[in-house]
Amino acid sequence: MEKQSKHWEDVRDLFRNWREENCRQSEDVVDLWKEVLANHFGKLGDEGWLVLEQVFIAALDCHSMEIANFCLSKLNQEFPDSMRVKRLKAMKYEALERYEDALDILDLIIKKDETNAASRKRKVTIYKSQGMIIEAIKELTDYLRIFMADQEAWMELSDLYISQQEWNKAAFCVEELMLHSPFNHLYLQRYAEIKYTQGGYENLEIARSYYAQAAKLNPNNVRALYGLLLTSVHMASNSKCPSQKKKESIKLSEWATNQLSQLQSSNDSKLFSSQILEGMGNLQIGNDSKN
Amino acid sequence: MSNSVAKYTFLLGILLLLHAAYSAAQHRSYLRLTEQEFTSLPADIILQTIFSLLLAVYGVTMVAGDFKEIRSNIDLQKKTWKNLNNRPSFYTFNHRGHIFNPILLTRTGTGKGALEAN
Repeated sequence: MEKQSKHWEDVRDLFRNWREENCRQSEDVVDLWKEVLANHFGKLGDEGWLVLEQVFIAALDCHSMEIANFCLSKLNQEFPDSMRVKRLKAMKYEALERYEDALDILDLIIKKDETNAASRKRKVTIYKSQGMIIEAIKELTDYLRIFMADQEAWMELSDLYISQQEWNKAAFCVEELMLHSPFNHLYLQRYAEIKYTQGGYENLEIARSYYAQAAKLNPNNVRALYGLLLTSVHMASNSKCPSQKKKESIKLSEWATNQLSQLQSSNDSKLFSSQILEGMGNLQIGNDSKN
Repeated sequence: MSNSVAKYTFLLGILLLLHAAYSAAQHRSYLRLTEQEFTSLPADIILQTIFSLLLAVYGVTMVAGDFKEIRSNIDLQKKTWKNLNNRPSFYTFNHRGHIFNPILLTRTGTGKGALEAN
């Protein structure tokens, strides 16, 4: 019992950290709530409502409906006319697969308040959960026409396009994200991956340059390093490649291999193997193989 | 501890600055009374002004805390795709989580593991 009362502040700080970092550790949230915070809820003050929302969503993930209902009733008690709480209720219907009820609530919210961005996003999610990806894409593009600066929505749209294999449109969405944060190596890497997937010599070139930029910004980004290695190897073995670019590509692939083997030795990870690195260099797409 | 030292340093700097300003004003009124020309402030007042300014600036920077890294990419290096890819407004709930629910209910004490790991 004493251990718990010492820890509740740590749990609260941990929850705050998870809220800011967008971590989706629902089991841990629900467990920690049940063991620690539920008994100390009164001490949380205003932050308690944010914690309730966080626990509510985590409970929906784990399908613990009693906890979810408890959180929702407490929030409803405190904020009876709130749009945000109504939206959480719609989320609960979504989790119970009562999609029509959820859509009704969301339409009501949107009618009352045209500027409510979050409810429109929930509508997109409902279409996505039902597997109606095309409608979800249409709804999301309409949303983005109004709220153009919403980074989350652009990321979601790029994922939806990737699931439909519309590489050009997905690349366009990631370009929007890169405009917002040009120094984020993860967006650069994602763009390079889409271009690499599209294939063809010009796209390989673009992919290689974006992988190189991502690796430059973060030399610990293993995925960017592997991407650099693979694209430069493919470019060098491609017949369309002029000899100067071939030399460049070979140098880049050697640099990437060196970085990877350095990271491997510093991490001492058993998953990495020098054989894998050597093997990567021999990887060819079927048509290009001359061996 | 260093926080209170920094606060006192800052306070001392401000007080010395005010004192230097007061003595400069007093010096000028003295010159006016004795009908002397005002060319420049005496050296010790200038020295006191500069010293108190430096003291106050030092105190403020100590109170303000650690500086953030100026290179933006260093800050971003710590982010992982696992968390960046999460879009809280678009969470769906029709995944396999609800099948695991009975198993979750029979587990005990695993939440503490996450607490200690962090």
